[in-house]
Amino acid sequence: MKPDAESDSLSLGLLEDGLRKTMLSASGAELDAALADMGWAEMLSDMPEVAIPLVFRLLGETGSHASILNDVVLQSSRREPGGAPALPYAGGAQVVWERHPDSTSPVHPVLGGLPLRRVDEGELLRLAEGRRALGWWLVGSSRTMLSLARQHALDRVQFGRPIAGFQAIRHRLAETLVAIEGAEATLSLPGVDNPDLTALLAKAAAGKAALTAARHCQQVLGGIGFTAEHDLHHHVKRVLVLDGLLGSSRELTRKAGAGLRARGSAPRLVNL
Amino acid sequence: MTVPSTADFRSQLVAWLDENELTPPPDDHSLDAHQAQHLRVLSALYDADWMRYGWPESAGGLGGPAILRAVVGEEIVGRGLDHPGPYSMLEVLAPTMIDYARPELAAEMVPRLLSGRESWCQGFSEPGSGSDLASLSTRAEQRGDDWVVNGQKVWTSFAQYASRCVLLTRTGAPATPNHEALTAFFVDLDARGITVRPLSAMHGVDEFCEVYFDEVVVPADRMLGEPGDGWRLAMDLLPYERSTCFWQRIAYLYSRLDALIDEVKGELGPAADADLGAAYLALHTVRCRSQATQHRLADGHKLGPDTSIDKVLLATAEQQLYDTARDVLPGVIELDDSPWRTEFLYSRAATIYGGTAEVQRNIIARRLLDLGKE
Repeated sequence: MKPDAESDSLSLGLLEDGLRKTMLSASGAELDAALADMGWAEMLSDMPEVAIPLVFRLLGETGSHASILNDVVLQSSRREPGGAPALPYAGGAQVVWERHPDSTSPVHPVLGGLPLRRVDEGELLRLAEGRRALGWWLVGSSRTMLSLARQHALDRVQFGRPIAGFQAIRHRLAETLVAIEGAEATLSLPGVDNPDLTALLAKAAAGKAALTAARHCQQVLGGIGFTAEHDLHHHVKRVLVLDGLLGSSRELTRKAGAGLRARGSAPRLVNL
Repeated sequence: MTVPSTADFRSQLVAWLDENELTPPPDDHSLDAHQAQHLRVLSALYDADWMRYGWPESAGGLGGPAILRAVVGEEIVGRGLDHPGPYSMLEVLAPTMIDYARPELAAEMVPRLLSGRESWCQGFSEPGSGSDLASLSTRAEQRGDDWVVNGQKVWTSFAQYASRCVLLTRTGAPATPNHEALTAFFVDLDARGITVRPLSAMHGVDEFCEVYFDEVVVPADRMLGEPGDGWRLAMDLLPYERSTCFWQRIAYLYSRLDALIDEVKGELGPAADADLGAAYLALHTVRCRSQATQHRLADGHKLGPDTSIDKVLLATAEQQLYDTARDVLPGVIELDDSPWRTEFLYSRAATIYGGTAEVQRNIIARRLLDLGKE
C-alpha cells in the first residue's frame, strides 16, 4: 500500500468508528445535528462515492436513522440543500421524510417510527443516488440481522446442542449471506454507463436481500426474535419500510423487465 | 510480447470475429457436430493467437493476465460460436497441467488442447463418490516404473471425444487420511483396458460418460505432482472454474435471455415484465459478483470458500432463467423440440454439478459464517 493510500484507509477507519459511535448514541433529529457537526454536508458534496456507502451502511448496521436521504436526493437533483422533497413510495404513494418531526404530535404512524408523512403531490427528482443510498442502508440492516441470528444460533441450545449445528439453520443463514453479498456486488458497481438502471437494479437486489434476511433471521431467532425485547424487530420493520421507499424491489424488478422488453435485449452493465 | 489492455484486447477480438466466419453450420444439433465446431473454433482462435493470451509462454501461450481468457470465452460462448460446456473444459484442464505436470509434459501437451488438435476429459466423480469426492476408490498401484489403475469414473464429460484424461486415483494405504491419499495422473485414453460408455441423460445430450479402468498401465512420468497431491490439485481447480468458467457461462445465459426477450417482446406485453426483470436481476447480480471475483484473482488474492457464493448465485440464476422461459413460453418446452427444452432440462443439473447447492451452503456456513461443525 502506498503511504497516502495507507493514511487514507486509516482516516476512513477513524471516520467509520466515529460515525458508528455517534449513531449508536443518537437517532432522528439529534443524529442529523450530530452528523452536521461531523461534516456530513462536505462529505456528501466532496466525496459522495465514499460517504454514501459508508454512512448509509452504518445507519443500517446500527439501527439508527437520520433524514439525510433528503440531502442525497436534493444534491443529485441539483436542488438547493435543506428542505424535504416528496419522495415516491411503493404503490404510487408519495412521502416526505420530515427533518424536524413535531414532537408534540401523536406517535408517528409509520411502521418502526420513521418520520415519514404521506403527501399528495409528487416532484420530478433524480433518484439514482437515493436508491443507491437506500441500498446500502438495506445491506447494513441485513448484515446486523444476520449477525444477530448467527449469534443466537451459536448460543441457543436445544436437543442438547447449539442449534447452529443443524443443517436447516445453517442453510438459512448461508442463504442470507449469499443474498447480502450478491446485493453488495450490485451496489459496488460504479455503473457510469447507465447510472439509473445500475442504481435501480442495486436497490432491487438490496431490497430483495433484506426481505430474505428478515425472513430467515426471524425464523432462526424463533420466539425471542418475536419479542420487542430483542433488537431484531427494529431491523425487520426498518427494511420493510425502506424497501418501499423510492420503489420496492418488486416494482423496480418489474420496471427493469419493462425496460428489457422495450429495448429488445439485456444490457450488460458490468464488463471485465 | 506486449499485452494489450482488456478493453483494447476485446475490441481487437471483436473486429477479428466480425471478419472471420466461425458460425456453426445450421441444422445439425448432434453432439458430434458440436464437437467438430468446438475443435474448429479452437483451431482458428489458436492460429490467430487469441487462444494463446492469458496462458504462460512455458505452455505455448503468449502470457498476460487470465482475464484475457475470460474475454475470449465471453465473446465465443456469448455469440454461440461454441457451447459453454466443451469450451469451459479448457479452464479446468490446462491450468492443472500447467501447475502440476512436469514442465516438458505441459509444454508438449497444453498447445494440443488449446489448438483443438485434441480434447481431454477430467475423471474425478465415481459412482460411490459424488459430493464426497475424497472417498473415491479408483486405485493406482505402483509396479516397477509404472502405475496400474483399476476402477470406474462417472459424469466424465465428453470422454467419448477425449484422447487423454486428468484422472484422480487413490494411492495411499488404508490408514492414510483421505485428503492425503489421492494422486492424479495424465492418462492416454487409448491405453489398453479403458472402456468409455456414454450415459443417456434426461436432456437428450449424451455428453456424460462412464469410464472403466481395468489394469490400465500408466507411466510414472505421467503423474501430476507427487503422490498424495491429488486432493490439492482438485481444490486448486476451483479458482479457475469459479472465475473464468463462470464468466463464460454468465455470458452464455445473457445471450439466452436476449433470445427469450426477442421471442416474447411482441406477444406478451407487460405481463412478462416481472418474470423477465427477476431473471435479469439474478443474472446481473452474479455478473457483478463474478467481475469482482476475477479482479480479486487478478490482484493476487487467493480465492477460497467465498467462491461458493458465486456458485450458489450462478446456479440459482441459471434455473431462474429457464423457469422463466417455461413460464413465458407456455407449451414450448413440452410440445416443441426446441433448444429451450434441452436447456431447461440441463439447467436442472446446475444445483448438482460442480458441488451441489447443499455442499456450497455447508461450506458457507462452516467457513464464511464460522458456525462450527454440524
